[in-house]
Amino acid sequence: MTSILETKNVVYSYGDGTEALKDVSISLEEGKKIALVGPNGAGKSTLMLMFNGILRPTSGDVLFRGLPLRYDSAYLRKIRRKVGMVFQNSDDQLFAPTVYQDVAFGPVNLGFSVEKAKKYVGYALQYVGLSGYERRPPHHLSGGEKKRVAIAGILAMEPEVIILDEPTSNLDPASSEEIMDMLDELNCGGKTMIISTHDVDLAYRWADEVILMENGGVLRRGTGSEVFGDAELIKRARLKLPIVVDLYKELVNRGLLSDSRPPRNILELTDFMESRNRGMISRVAFGTIHICNVDGEDSEDIKSILEKSHVSYTGAMGTNAKVLAEQAKIPLDFTYGVIDKCILKALAGKTSLIMTSGGMVDHSVKRIRTYCEDSGAKIEVVKLSSLVESSVNSDRQEMWSQKNSTKPIEAVQ
Amino acid sequence: MHDLLDDYAHSNALRDTSPRLRLLLGLGAMLLCVASATPIAPLFVAVTMSLITVGLAKIPGRFYSALLLIPLSFSLLSAAVVAFVHGGGDSLFAFNVFGISLGIREDGANLALLLIARTFGGMCSLFFIALTTPMIEIFSILRSLGLPDFLVELSMLMYRYIFVFLDQAAMIHSAQVMRLGDAGIKNTLNSFSMLSSVLFLRSWEQGERLIVAMDARCYDGKLDLTEQSGKAEPKAIFAVMGYMIVIAAIAVLTRGIRLL
Repeated sequence: MTSILETKNVVYSYGDGTEALKDVSISLEEGKKIALVGPNGAGKSTLMLMFNGILRPTSGDVLFRGLPLRYDSAYLRKIRRKVGMVFQNSDDQLFAPTVYQDVAFGPVNLGFSVEKAKKYVGYALQYVGLSGYERRPPHHLSGGEKKRVAIAGILAMEPEVIILDEPTSNLDPASSEEIMDMLDELNCGGKTMIISTHDVDLAYRWADEVILMENGGVLRRGTGSEVFGDAELIKRARLKLPIVVDLYKELVNRGLLSDSRPPRNILELTDFMESRNRGMISRVAFGTIHICNVDGEDSEDIKSILEKSHVSYTGAMGTNAKVLAEQAKIPLDFTYGVIDKCILKALAGKTSLIMTSGGMVDHSVKRIRTYCEDSGAKIEVVKLSSLVESSVNSDRQEMWSQKNSTKPIEAVQ
Repeated sequence: MHDLLDDYAHSNALRDTSPRLRLLLGLGAMLLCVASATPIAPLFVAVTMSLITVGLAKIPGRFYSALLLIPLSFSLLSAAVVAFVHGGGDSLFAFNVFGISLGIREDGANLALLLIARTFGGMCSLFFIALTTPMIEIFSILRSLGLPDFLVELSMLMYRYIFVFLDQAAMIHSAQVMRLGDAGIKNTLNSFSMLSSVLFLRSWEQGERLIVAMDARCYDGKLDLTEQSGKAEPKAIFAVMGYMIVIAAIAVLTRGIRLL
């Protein structure tokens, strides 16, 4: 893995001499989901503002792809295009009087022609699920929509790294989860994501790497389990344990689980419990997970697939799938953490459908297969579309069968 | 929370028609109102403009009539003064107050009627513009009329942040009222001065954040001003022209008529 952003002995002090950052040296890997966590005033936002050259370190270096940042305006424009930043308060970021003008701000300033800018804006708004909002003024949008527009404004400049300062603050739970799901989707598309947050549950569940900051320095970095497994450290940083870890620790204390690595999520926790009780994950019958690629499908196709496949639960992953589900008036049971939820349902013997698109299809299949290999569960994965059905057996045999059939669904039943 | 004209302007049924044509319709009707010598043409404008605003632009009738109450009070007051002060023509009626004779004569009455009619005709046209044309469309028209870019960009930024500060001012005001900041004149004045100073500081800070936000997105002195509003359909252009001609004809044909 190559490091995309790096800080070397970065110190930053304000005019009055208070040090906001004290000798921070970290390197961030390309394509990862990284969460900066820490209490108020730990220096998270200051560090983030270093990454695209808005703040200049008092001493030390910030490196992008191994090269130190320069602070002349030509270079800054280049780095700010590659490293996009979404501010905590959307009203700070959305300064143009209409959504279109705001999203077009970056492309226009990069010197794109009107047509090209229009194309990029259209693409970005479609990605965040806000096509048709072009002429709305920002003060007519909800908090979640404002955040989406802010993200679209960054996406329109095609950054390699996206930094989000407290992306879920001031959002209701459903909006936060949808934003986080979108960040997953972006990461799936190859973008490096960096967020800062106080929300330990969110950081624990979402991030590949957690950087724990306190008082201007890095206290610990590692996977979620490594950082949040250390209760003392978390207490020192004025945070609390994620609820899954807290529950796990108490179960260990009662002797119900053996002490090893804390589980990452509810799925893992329930698996720990089950394998402790029964020795392994086994069932008379597992549920099936259908995965439907919505690319190129219209709402009628989706409806007919849904009618024929007799699923008990439906989930949508990614903006495209959600927009389509809304158009087709399909009630969704899951809109976030969809894969885990569907695995949980399959373990309970229920059949479910995941609607998603593009690279997320293979990502889902891979995720379910990895789970099955690790746990020994046998969950059948069926890829659906209106034309082609392929069944992906998650057994060791790794049987990929692809049948062209005009009536694909009957074969499954 | 607030009932803003701007909100209606963004959601009205004529949003997709050409803003230039809408502006032309409103301004044209307004000018013809002022140019007309008798109250008939302005009254015609007031009635038809109201019908257009409520019927075509689908602005709620209740809201619209509440809006019309604002010019009603001041136009009635000023018309009354004009009616009494202006002389000439036969006396319509008169009465004595402490030995001074007050009365309304024909010329005064006619002028007062004209005043009311013009006020309403003009206000209905103005409301038509305000309720159907968001500021942003007016900005792009101003720019195409040759106003320098920096002025238009500055007004756009100001316009955007009016709403942010409106919310902030409302919140600060509520916070003050909740702690009895409006009890008595002294408290009210004190609260108001605090509100103003805090708002000033906040707008200063907001300005600094704005610069950071613009810089973070490669600000190079450009704000997109491309207009994406609807084009004027020939049918609509003919309708507006026809309407103008009808008003002008009424104004010309009725110029000799005296109501009283």
